Amino acid sequence: MWRKAILLSLREKKVFVVFTLIYTVLIFLTSFFIDLGFKGMFGDFVWNFVFIFLGTSLFLSMLYAWILVSRKRRIWATFKCIGYTNKNILSLVSGMIFFTTIVGFLIVIEMLFHYAAIVAYINQTAINIPLLILVDLVPVVITSLIFIGVQIIAFILAYRKVLKVRPIIALKKVGE
Amino acid sequence: MSEKDIMIEAVDVNKEYRRAGAIIRALADVNLKIKSGEFAIIQGPTGCGKSTLLNVLSGLDLPDSGRIIFDGENIARSTEDRLSKLRRQKIGFVFQDFNLVRTLTAMENVESVLWPTVLRQKEIENRAVAALRDVDLLDRKDHFPVQMSGGEKQRCAIARAIIHRPRVILADEPSGNLDPQSEKDVMGLLKKINKEMETTVLVVTHRDLSAYGTKTIRMDGGKIISIK
Repeated sequence: MWRKAILLSLREKKVFVVFTLIYTVLIFLTSFFIDLGFKGMFGDFVWNFVFIFLGTSLFLSMLYAWILVSRKRRIWATFKCIGYTNKNILSLVSGMIFFTTIVGFLIVIEMLFHYAAIVAYINQTAINIPLLILVDLVPVVITSLIFIGVQIIAFILAYRKVLKVRPIIALKKVGE
Repeated sequence: MSEKDIMIEAVDVNKEYRRAGAIIRALADVNLKIKSGEFAIIQGPTGCGKSTLLNVLSGLDLPDSGRIIFDGENIARSTEDRLSKLRRQKIGFVFQDFNLVRTLTAMENVESVLWPTVLRQKEIENRAVAALRDVDLLDRKDHFPVQMSGGEKQRCAIARAIIHRPRVILADEPSGNLDPQSEKDVMGLLKKINKEMETTVLVVTHRDLSAYGTKTIRMDGGKIISIK
């Protein structure tokens, strides 16, 4: 089912791209501020930002879960008609949310690698650019783990909404 | 008729709805037997209770009272998981609005029935190809619903309904959104499946499609008024 969740995510191009980009920005910003916090820069003030971004991530995950279940109620109802259980549908929904976060994480890692490589390359010459915004890998991994943990709340919300989708909806005429 | 021959049986089934404060009796003491291998048409005007009957016969809705015996099992009080299993193993659905997933190809839509099963992807693909071939839609397997005509979408939906070789196909106004020629094709296809695969077919319609059925059940006011 996870592979099918990835397939469904990738086919929903607009929603997938928008949420992946938002996750990418959030993961980067949270990692960046966690990194600053670990290095003791700007005092405890940076942790406020970390909590704001984590709260935003929670809101975002719940919004994504709500969009996936509510906007696709007819699809999930049809799937229930053809024999899917609530757990089967939850696997698809949670797989779609999870995959989007993982892609956001991979994009951040990829960008940081490229950034470090470019700066290192330029530093071979006479020009010396300091690695101002290079975030360590540890804060990025910690951020991603926290983001995934936060999504459990979104999965619970999604499951509650999936339970409410009655298969009979699939038999109603469009617009009814 | 022996009990073994009966695929679906409704016994004293009642169902009421409350709409805008008024109580609507959608099914009133309905008794019905559908034999295995039959092609039954449930016909009647809008609001006569035929869709409600289809819903309770398939376990999508529960009757207020009475029993629904589906292939020897009373499903009127089954759990949701049990009903899901029953639908996955024994029922194929065909909807008026096709209900295909617009982001999946015809092949993937057909395969989707078997995604939650333990079958390997290759086996699922083989079955989907066979189902699409049965409905003469194999050349459209990589097309998305938006690239198909209404008749083709409904044939794709029928392929989805037969991929798991169900005992019963339940069709809710399968030709409701189709032109006369596509209606003929789709009903002919259901007839062919009924004959060749010995699948019991139950079609709910407001049109006169009795020519295709082996049994026509006419409903009005939540009651069965005739069975021919």
